[in-house]
Amino acid sequence: MKKVMMGNHAVSYGARLSRVDVIAAYPITPQTQIVEELSELCADGKLDAKFIKVESEHSAMASCMGASAAGGRAFTATSSQGLALMHELLHFSSGGRLPIVMANVNRALGPGWNIWTEQTDSLAQRDTGWLQFYCENNQEVLDTVIMSYKIAEQLSLPVMLVLDAFILSHTYEIVDIPEQEAIDGYLPPYKPEIKMDVDNPHAFGALVTPDHYYEIRYKLQETMDRAPEVARKAGEEYGKLVGRPYDIVEPYMLDDADVVIVAAGTLVSNSRAVINEYREKGIKVGLLKLRMFRPFPTKRVRELLAGKKKIAVIDRNISFGATGIFYQELKAALYGQNNGAGSPDIFGFIIGLGGRDVTLEDIAEIVDYTLEKEKNEEDIIWMGLKR
Amino acid sequence: MSKKITFTSIADLPPLVVSMGTTEVNATGSWRYLRPVYHDKTAPCIEGCPASEDIEQYMYWAARGDFDKAWEVLVEENPFPAVCGRVCYHPCESSCNRDHFDQSLGINSIERFIGDHGLEFSLDRFKVAEEREQKIAVAGAGPAGLAAAYHLRRLGYQVTVYEKEEKPGGILQYGIPRYRLPKHILEAEIMRLERFGVEIKTGVQVGKDIPWNEFLQHDAVFLAVGVHKSRKLNVPGEDLDGVIAGLDFLSRINSGEDVSLGKNVAVIGGGNTAMDAVRTALRLGSTPAIYYRRTRAEMPAILDEIEEAEREGIPMEFLVTPVELIGENGALKAMKLQRMELGEPDESGRRRPVPVEGSEYVVEVDNVITAIGEQGDFTSIPEKLIEWGVVKSDAFGQTEQRPVFAGGDIIEQPHTVVHAIGSGKKAAMAIHAYLNGGDIATLADKIHVGNKGGVSFLRFRDGHEGDPVDNHEVVTFENINTSYFTRKDRHQVPELDVKTRITNFEEVKGTIDREAAMDEALRCFNCGVCNMCDNCLVFCPDVAIKRRDDRFRYEIDYAYCKGCGICVVECPRSALSLVPEGK
Amino acid sequence: MIEIRIHGRGGQGAVIASKILASALFKEDKFVQSFPTFGVERRGAPVAAFIRIDEEQILVRSQIYKPDDVIVLDPTLIDAVDVTQGLKSGGWILINTTRAPKEFDKLSEFRVATVDASGIAAKHGLGSKAHPIVNTAILGAFARITGYVKLESILEAITEEVPFARKANVEASKEAFRSVKTESDVVLKSESES
Repeated sequence: MKKVMMGNHAVSYGARLSRVDVIAAYPITPQTQIVEELSELCADGKLDAKFIKVESEHSAMASCMGASAAGGRAFTATSSQGLALMHELLHFSSGGRLPIVMANVNRALGPGWNIWTEQTDSLAQRDTGWLQFYCENNQEVLDTVIMSYKIAEQLSLPVMLVLDAFILSHTYEIVDIPEQEAIDGYLPPYKPEIKMDVDNPHAFGALVTPDHYYEIRYKLQETMDRAPEVARKAGEEYGKLVGRPYDIVEPYMLDDADVVIVAAGTLVSNSRAVINEYREKGIKVGLLKLRMFRPFPTKRVRELLAGKKKIAVIDRNISFGATGIFYQELKAALYGQNNGAGSPDIFGFIIGLGGRDVTLEDIAEIVDYTLEKEKNEEDIIWMGLKR
Repeated sequence: MSKKITFTSIADLPPLVVSMGTTEVNATGSWRYLRPVYHDKTAPCIEGCPASEDIEQYMYWAARGDFDKAWEVLVEENPFPAVCGRVCYHPCESSCNRDHFDQSLGINSIERFIGDHGLEFSLDRFKVAEEREQKIAVAGAGPAGLAAAYHLRRLGYQVTVYEKEEKPGGILQYGIPRYRLPKHILEAEIMRLERFGVEIKTGVQVGKDIPWNEFLQHDAVFLAVGVHKSRKLNVPGEDLDGVIAGLDFLSRINSGEDVSLGKNVAVIGGGNTAMDAVRTALRLGSTPAIYYRRTRAEMPAILDEIEEAEREGIPMEFLVTPVELIGENGALKAMKLQRMELGEPDESGRRRPVPVEGSEYVVEVDNVITAIGEQGDFTSIPEKLIEWGVVKSDAFGQTEQRPVFAGGDIIEQPHTVVHAIGSGKKAAMAIHAYLNGGDIATLADKIHVGNKGGVSFLRFRDGHEGDPVDNHEVVTFENINTSYFTRKDRHQVPELDVKTRITNFEEVKGTIDREAAMDEALRCFNCGVCNMCDNCLVFCPDVAIKRRDDRFRYEIDYAYCKGCGICVVECPRSALSLVPEGK
Repeated sequence: MIEIRIHGRGGQGAVIASKILASALFKEDKFVQSFPTFGVERRGAPVAAFIRIDEEQILVRSQIYKPDDVIVLDPTLIDAVDVTQGLKSGGWILINTTRAPKEFDKLSEFRVATVDASGIAAKHGLGSKAHPIVNTAILGAFARITGYVKLESILEAITEEVPFARKANVEASKEAFRSVKTESDVVLKSESES
């Protein structure tokens, strides 16, 4: 069934279709409507889940961890400062191998106080052991919630799906809601082999000495290494089910492209529109959409960008004292492979921080700059900075 | 588990950080030096109730909608819930911990609902422990006498109550007006006692119709004849036509007599008799007013009654006292009043009214109703039992002459219905102990609830189930974990509107409905008594607490309880205590 | 692609109007996107909501700077904000007012239409007299003048999206459809209300 809905409600529908058992969340703009809708669904009996009201995001994650450890399918949603407050428990939940799914609505961190979109909040959690997926439209948002559980429960790792504040969260567009029956076939009930059980008590997350901690970390990384393939398959299988396949990275007009845009989130959508315009003019611009950011899909990125000359990375984020974060990650993936000769020039653009509007003209300017410049001269190219 | 597990490779490691064996091997109970125990305490309402009703328990059942059980719990201590639910001054509510949180629990209105429920469904599941041959006589069928008879009957004795008036009930029958206590309610509650085997003989005055010596032939006797003589004003003109004693006035009205009053009726006094008299006079069509020698704050009447009188538009003149009643041809015409001011506190702790020189003034009155206090008429009681105008007795109503016991208004205690009921219960226990060669004083520790003299019949007959109870530890507001309660106003009691009610003797206050009674009972903190809220079980970090199969609480597995005390802290109602290990 | 901007005040239902319009267009198999002014909405403060309509999937996700048409829910906004900012020459500007279109001579560059949506809403008991809820009525008028969407689609969308007083909202929308006035000051000939 198709429906015109806002991105936040697409998240709620995704959670509902995933038949989550426990929802624990704390309200924060621009995420609030996600849990508002879920709490209503619980109250109306349309969703058979326990909704836990909590006093902070830290408690929200703690509640989800308890629910997940006890074998429940747990869901939460947050944004910005709320996600920052969860940071400690993000390590704890991945270390505990708990397949929690969280929606994060990308919002800038304050001060200056700002409720508009920016990717820094989620990207700053890149080292916590959570998988991350970035969404381009509301359809992808709904679908990604469901796929996230599929992936998380196979890997015993938590997954964060990310959508842009307002541009998706508060924007209405057409979303196709899959049939519950189809999703039930795709996502069977969560039945972990090891779970907290008062009748058979075990210690979870206890002390591990240097003798074994190192190996425990190795195992987590080993699982992360398997994640791209698991995620790819999950997207493929989902596509067979509902007719919308997803991949961890998605090329668009890439094969013959002279300039490749690399982006995530709604910047991808804007870039597609610009690429269409350039292609009409005969200019070969292409795109690599990063759906999955953690683990970084290094192998696929290397394959898809092999032989490319110029790459424009668009970052709506910044790692202070360094550069845009996608830019860093992409460089790290492509260099040091002992094939320096073939490495492309990578241009790093920072744009739209704190929700400043990114227009098609802005993207076109990025493409033109990249086409024009012989080689990259600076680590950050500031777009639209009022100098 | 004694074997040490060694991982030699990554493959050996479990998939997540989890112990290989069960944590049951780790008997954390060995760390404990403080032991949590389920330890019931006394709720302040119970301590505050002179009849020691187990309020907390009947709230537990009322909140769950089991009003049969609530009624049983209530009548364990007090045979007249429908009466007390109407006329009691409810000191329980002023003791209620909830008062510090939002508003005290509406105990009186719930008690009334439960009492009415008992009448509606003719509940009378009383049990007589074992029939005994001993015969006990009670003088006076007021609340004290009937309460004593009720409890003695439950203990198996053959009880006869002698009442000098035509009908039983005492002050309930002849003092309290119908608009506060309809006769059919009172009579239904008394009839229940009769069905239960309490014999009531009316129109028989002990010391007159039955000689004192004959009365004493019983195995034990209980004196509860009440006080019925209104105190005199001791001013000139008191014998004029139109001057009426308050209690006589109420008694005549309650007996169905026509009492004709003039227009201007002055009621002298500030107690319950004064309020009853003035509101009755209003209903008879007069324009009555209260004259009281102190201020409103010192009035001894129940606050509710004062407020109702005010609502009914009755004027109250404070700091005045009559100094002369003025007549014409033997009939009352006017009253001379003198203004007073408050001086030093007297022995009652209230400031003593002192006359203001030259402040006299005169008001025209057709009637004066005196209600400045009552005293006993002890002409039929042996003089040696009397001292300072009361029957000398100890806390359990034991006089110096065996087998004479006494209670109600004739002993030294506040003149309220609920104190009378409490004294009847205490005397019943004392008589039982006496007849069995024991001494009630030795049981005091076991049967007292709280530290204000109240006693529990349930504990007296050893009926308390469950874990040990500390009768004397009363839960304070500080002991309540208020995080678990949300603020909520108490339910309002339905009332007749003023215009209608002052034209007749219809009952002014109504009974709340079943939903309101349940909802109101849910407001109860259940101070000091476990109500199986599961908080301890949920919070125990060692999963050492389990529900027991019976209703009464939980079991702590001390092999794992490490004595952290979280259960004690998280108990909303202080039903757990932490005690040093080894004691 | 058609881009529309709705001006209102916080609490007047501009966002709901944009959503109803989007839903109505979706019923006619159009691709739609609707969104509010990003940020914080306060009651009474000028706000805007936006709709994009296209025959194919809408990729652009920036703000709307050059709307094709504008709807003004509150006549006092004409003086408070520049409601024609970026409005394409010849675009519709539909104003909720009792005045006639020709009285807006400063707007001659555009096609002006007016409808007494407040009066209609009040008549149908929507909101209060002082504070009528005009968002459903004005959409009827908008459907009529632009022809972007059928009235029946609007009415269907209202029935789905409005939580209460559905019938009154539908009737108000129909009445506005009938009574909207354009520059020639003649009530448009109704082709069909069906």
